[in-house]
Amino acid sequence: MHGRTRMARLTPRLSAVTAVVLSATLLAGCADDGGGSSGKDGEVTLSVGVFGVFGYKQAGLYDAYEKLNPHIKIKENSTERNEDYYPALLNRLSANSGLADIQAVEVNNINELATIQAAKFVDMSKADGVDGKDYLPWKWDQAKTEDDKVIGLGTDIGPMGICYRKDLFDKAGLPTDREEVGKLWEGDWAKYVDTGEDYMEDAPKGSSFTDSAAGLYNGALSSHAKKNYDEDGELIYKDSKAVKESWDLAMRAVDGKMTGKLKQFDTSWDQGYANGTFASVICPSWMLGYIKEKAGPKNADQWDVAPAPKPANWGGSFLTVPEASKNKDEAIKLAAWLTAPEQQAKLFEKQASFPSSTKALELPAVKSAKHEYFDNAPIGEIFSDAAKDMPTAILGPKDQIIGEQISNGILSVEQQGKSPDSAWSATTKKIDDVLDE
Amino acid sequence: MTSQDMRSAPATSAAGAGTSPPGPDGADEREKRRAARRSKWYQRDAKWSPYAFISPFFLFFAAFGLFPLLYTGWASLHRVSLHSPTEMEWVGLHNFTRLLQDEYFWNSLSNTFVIGIISTVPQLLMALGLAHLLNYKLRGSMFFRVAMLTPYATSVAAATLVFAMLYGRDFGMINWGLGLFGIDNIDWEGGSWTSQFAVATIVIWRWTGYNTLIYLAAMQSVPNDLYESAALDGASRWQQFLHVTVPSLRPTILFTVVISTIGSTQLFGEPLLFGGSPSGGASNQYQTLGLYLYEQGWTNFHLGRASAIAWMMFLVLIVIGLVYFLVAKRLQKSH
Amino acid sequence: MAVLTSATPKEEAPGEGDGKRRTRTRGKAGRHLYAGWFTYVVLGFFTVGSLFPLVWTAIAASRDNARLAETPPPFWFGGNLGSNLQAAWTDANMGKALINTVFVAGTVTVSTVLFATLAGFAFAKLRFRGSNILLLLVIGTMMVPPQLSVVPLFMAVAELEWTNQLQAVILPMMASAFGVFFMRQYLINALPTELIEAARVDGAHSLRLVWHVVFPAARPAMAVLGMLTFVLAWNEFFWPMIALTQDNPTVQVALTGLGRGYIPDQSVIMAGSLLGTLPLLIVFAVFGKQIVGGIMQGAVKG
Repeated sequence: MHGRTRMARLTPRLSAVTAVVLSATLLAGCADDGGGSSGKDGEVTLSVGVFGVFGYKQAGLYDAYEKLNPHIKIKENSTERNEDYYPALLNRLSANSGLADIQAVEVNNINELATIQAAKFVDMSKADGVDGKDYLPWKWDQAKTEDDKVIGLGTDIGPMGICYRKDLFDKAGLPTDREEVGKLWEGDWAKYVDTGEDYMEDAPKGSSFTDSAAGLYNGALSSHAKKNYDEDGELIYKDSKAVKESWDLAMRAVDGKMTGKLKQFDTSWDQGYANGTFASVICPSWMLGYIKEKAGPKNADQWDVAPAPKPANWGGSFLTVPEASKNKDEAIKLAAWLTAPEQQAKLFEKQASFPSSTKALELPAVKSAKHEYFDNAPIGEIFSDAAKDMPTAILGPKDQIIGEQISNGILSVEQQGKSPDSAWSATTKKIDDVLDE
Repeated sequence: MTSQDMRSAPATSAAGAGTSPPGPDGADEREKRRAARRSKWYQRDAKWSPYAFISPFFLFFAAFGLFPLLYTGWASLHRVSLHSPTEMEWVGLHNFTRLLQDEYFWNSLSNTFVIGIISTVPQLLMALGLAHLLNYKLRGSMFFRVAMLTPYATSVAAATLVFAMLYGRDFGMINWGLGLFGIDNIDWEGGSWTSQFAVATIVIWRWTGYNTLIYLAAMQSVPNDLYESAALDGASRWQQFLHVTVPSLRPTILFTVVISTIGSTQLFGEPLLFGGSPSGGASNQYQTLGLYLYEQGWTNFHLGRASAIAWMMFLVLIVIGLVYFLVAKRLQKSH
Repeated sequence: MAVLTSATPKEEAPGEGDGKRRTRTRGKAGRHLYAGWFTYVVLGFFTVGSLFPLVWTAIAASRDNARLAETPPPFWFGGNLGSNLQAAWTDANMGKALINTVFVAGTVTVSTVLFATLAGFAFAKLRFRGSNILLLLVIGTMMVPPQLSVVPLFMAVAELEWTNQLQAVILPMMASAFGVFFMRQYLINALPTELIEAARVDGAHSLRLVWHVVFPAARPAMAVLGMLTFVLAWNEFFWPMIALTQDNPTVQVALTGLGRGYIPDQSVIMAGSLLGTLPLLIVFAVFGKQIVGGIMQGAVKG
């Protein structure tokens, strides 16, 4: 569910093995887990198709629901990576078979489905007990089709902050208090790069200001509403102001030698956390757990988190109910229940999935949440604030692949010393080829 | 009819007819008929048994080899998306003509050749040298042989995972070792030569031992007297190796070259797992043909293009196969 | 492999007979020289190179994430091997995976060897219409990139509703073009045509012929092909990955499930990698002599 599936690759190497092939593409295309089925005595088995770790099972939500509704049994089918899960889902949709009763969809894919496959999904806005006003407006709109049908209910979101190391900031002569740090770059991503320049002037040996230029690009881009597509669904990434500005920022960062030249979610990125080779990273809420694990007890008390220059989102998912589900009504009920504020709050407590429901954001368990590893930073407050001011991003069907190619382009400048111009033209050429323009 | 059959199949009927003892007419008739039946059976057996022998293989081959091959050929003439693999739009040879101007295709083709050469040549040379050494009278020779064969038992995945860690830029063991000699950290994965070199070493690691044993086996079948007469002529060890061993091994060497060529043309797992993505590096610096095929099909969803690339690979290999065939013929003649 | 090419040997394949022969020949003829220290140094170097990545896999598997990120990297075993192996075992469904893999590799090996021997014999020794074309087809098949057949194969498997069932992995691997070619090349020289004719004259029909003449003659090559096939089937991951899921995996498929957790643990991944390789390594350690001998014998004859 987490955005780490975004342009990131979870353990790239190993999961590439998984990916190896439509792995799931098809794998699922008709894998064993068909839809749910109705047994005797009105007992219903609902299947839920997810990717990665959604945490419903781990947080005990399925058990709770089964207790509330004794005639329901819930079975979860999980595919490790969205890169495998999504093609499989597409295949099942076009075959109209093998679909689970509830299918999770990642934010990068929801638009494609709402655009081309809307008819295959139930309109969730009409479901009992679902009120669009309960959700963050931008999240609600992302799953909306042209004719105002809503094909998925928001689960979590990924509001971004900046995670930074106080020890390194201190040595470089920068403030370490999170409010002061936040002030350094408040309101403008360019200020984040300015700070980087300051940092590099007096940088502790062997350290860089930020982990990767592509991460910076992703953060800066995400705070814009209009990115790769315009309101009419036209592909405009080549002339998009957001893309241009973010690209230029990334180039400035490379030029200032303030990046660790790392590929996010790569093994060496992990090792960078363990060894403290970079001082800051743009981190959505779901990344905090990852950092804690990778930086480890050795680096406890060093990390803190401050607000990002501008509110931006990275990742998050939706729950959809395919029309082909054999237990549509029960599935809709379950999807609505799983995304209701109380359950979102519980999931936040247990799995740190940040709620997309406005009501859940107001609950004390969320609002006043602190993260111990990050020096008790008030993450509830920091991320809630970011969530509320988020722009309604315009999504397009090929956002993911465009993002991946641009990351590669940035990496080729960063690691291989290509000139920004030639990297840009190579990138656009590749994207054209991929999209078959 | 029966008798004709018998006559036309003398070799097989001889056994049956020849052994029948003379006897009463009726019995003789019966015996004759039985022999005839038998010979007929034999004839049918001789005629059809080859087909029976190859049929299990071809049955599976047709279902799991030929059908996919033809299907892919058909798909390569269409625009097909992984979104809906059953909906095909006829485009003729477009997928092939587009490859000719496709710089990524040429890039992956040249990467494939470069990696192929820098993995095959050192690998076979080392195997040859090692086989020569193992051919000496030697303590613990079986230990050396088994040890060198263990990489062969390691899967591509396991091997690549560990090599990728060893080649790590900031904290990998190889860079640490080089650091002891004052060499700065090398970004193995990021550079183009370095990444191709790294991928090649994985291939070399896995296959050198295996090829060594093949060469060793061939060396041991070189007749002794060749060495003896060479020794009598005052040839040194090195000269013996050059003038006796290598020429005797020529067919084996040629064969391993071809098998390695086929292997490296289809190289896929190592580069995929080395960087963890089908792009083969940020600027496709180690993307091989197999990887490009995979990227087009399963990342970009263009199954038609992927099929066309697959067929191009097939054609490249056929050309290589033909060259091999011609060279082998030449060699045979010169013997 | 080298079966195909090696020139007809002028003497019996030696295996380990060097020593004995040495007494016969004096002088400095190639292989009879005792190795000097230089030879041992070079061989030692390559032995270390061959074994080191595997040893280091085990070292990495005995450490934890944090230690793997430090420099200098660990050179000796740490204390976490047991717990990492256990984590990998449970995470990756390894018990079932091992049983499945033994079954898959075993079935594939037996049938490949059987089919390849039959077809190889037919191509080597029997004359029948279309044999040349069919043989060419077999050789051509070896050159087909395996990635190519994945889509249509999957569609077929899906149609048959075999997804996630072992036969989906077993059946496509049973038709080995390489195996047929391998056996053909071997049998062409190893099985004298007169032997077949003699058996025919004795009235043996084809099945008996195969059983009493072909199989005995082909045995060494069958053993080699069997070993090659088993290792190949054990390590195959491209197709099983598509056809199977973590619920019913082979070893290679199971290993890919290790990254599944929330945060991947490098040392557990290495432990899994070790678990997947270990069975073959043990086989190599125990039967190494036979395997090496087999490969060499299969290579020389023919």
